[in-house]
Amino acid sequence: MSKIAVLTNDLQADLINKNQERFDAVEAATPAFSAFLHAMRERGHHIIHLQLINLPDDPIAERYDGVLPVQKGTEGAAIVPAFLADGDILLEKNKDSGFYETDLHERLQDLGVETVVITGMQSQICVQTTAADAFFRGYSVWVPSDCVVSAREQDTVRALEWMDGYCANIASSVEIIEILDSGKDLPRKEFLVP
Amino acid sequence: MHAGTESLLDQHIVLDHGTGARLSRELVEFVVDVLGDVYTGEMEDSAVLPISVGNIAMTTDSFVVDPPVFGNGDIGKIAICGTVNDLAVVGAQPLYLTLAMILETGLPIGVLHRVLVSVRETAIEAGVKIVAGDTKVVGAGEADGIFLNTTGIGVFHEKPKRMTDVRVGDRIIVSGPIGNHTIHLLSVREGLGFEQRVVSDCAPLNGMIDALRSKVPAEAVRSMRDVTRGGLSAVLHEYSSALDRTLRIEESALPIDHETRMAADMLGIDPINAANEGCLALFVAAEDADSVLEALHSHPYGTRAVVVGEVTDRPGKAVEMLGADGRLREIEELQGAELPRLC
Repeated sequence: MSKIAVLTNDLQADLINKNQERFDAVEAATPAFSAFLHAMRERGHHIIHLQLINLPDDPIAERYDGVLPVQKGTEGAAIVPAFLADGDILLEKNKDSGFYETDLHERLQDLGVETVVITGMQSQICVQTTAADAFFRGYSVWVPSDCVVSAREQDTVRALEWMDGYCANIASSVEIIEILDSGKDLPRKEFLVP
Repeated sequence: MHAGTESLLDQHIVLDHGTGARLSRELVEFVVDVLGDVYTGEMEDSAVLPISVGNIAMTTDSFVVDPPVFGNGDIGKIAICGTVNDLAVVGAQPLYLTLAMILETGLPIGVLHRVLVSVRETAIEAGVKIVAGDTKVVGAGEADGIFLNTTGIGVFHEKPKRMTDVRVGDRIIVSGPIGNHTIHLLSVREGLGFEQRVVSDCAPLNGMIDALRSKVPAEAVRSMRDVTRGGLSAVLHEYSSALDRTLRIEESALPIDHETRMAADMLGIDPINAANEGCLALFVAAEDADSVLEALHSHPYGTRAVVVGEVTDRPGKAVEMLGADGRLREIEELQGAELPRLC
């Protein structure tokens, strides 16, 4: 069984359609992003979609014009079809990090996962916090730079710089597939704590 | 725990818990039962207390931390620590605290129980008694779960410590890592993933100050301040203003945990502006800095104490920092960009 899992973040209609900038960013990334997910599935790696579900009594959850998005069971909370396939795992989360008060860590451990490839929206929030959380829990973290999106491009640039400096390998999705197809593992990047 | 106390644990606060009738009485009995020996109130309208002749220190603080229960603490612990520390840093021995609670309808009494247990345990550690209390209940939406107020009284066994006692050349010591409390709370609020790696520093510091007092001459420590809202920057600006002297610190000396720096970079926060709940800034005579450090290091809350700067002889209300790159820059005083409800 593969020791690599791809984690997607917040690929849900309510969140993607929040504004035109988000929609455009996801649309632009979709060809490379969905191709990457397809390639990883073909190679037997796990795909886990982290699905943000806002709890009605969460006072911090952002409302869009007074309406709470991505409520459990709604159409807008579903993972959009372009990124979903049979065999993918769905895991609900209620906060930014996919690890926060979920059983993601236990499920990854049960699967024998050692490396997580973190993707999705938005780069500077859910992707970044999930990457940090994964790093703290001892996973080797990779982030494909063309499979993470933000409404504002500069937020993705800044988040990639931060993750590169603190907790993750950054590479394009093509580079990651090339490494895997060369028969090598995705190497763990060492970070020196001062 | 009494049977009556246990039976309340799975209930929620209702308005009648604050109306002075039977439910009010049961809630007060619950509070008194949980606080145990720490509570010395006698249900009179005022506490009558023995106190030595001379100056007393008195302080008050309100607590609205969000969330009220976090990874390694809660609003009860903060409420005791905040007031105890405010008394201790002026050189007083904290003795008596009041505890006033504003509870929102719907608050699980189990949460209140946890908070009261923290009040009790922290008061025991700090050696203080809760001598009076008050409970008010408001409707849903009129508060946020639980707000506390503590007022404290302490007595002096030595001259009170004041900002104006600080002298040019004094060293500035920080007793522990800065920024952890803020990062922990923000991470708990938003689920950022740092909350297990970075925990709050919330602690009663009077024990550490007592240990310091027993090992160095009283005049070695000119003045102290607990580094809370506004962070180290706010403390340094207060002293600089009071002294009309420029304070200089070194960036490389600041005790900032790696994970805290990571999170601060991500959130766009400078740890020097971040609130703490268990950290002291001490202004110390230069010749005594080593012995003060040694004394602090011998206490569990001071193991990472470090000299971070000094009081220069240059007039002017300014705080400057020598960067890791060798460049000097002025630290601006925050104008109100502080993050809310951290204590």
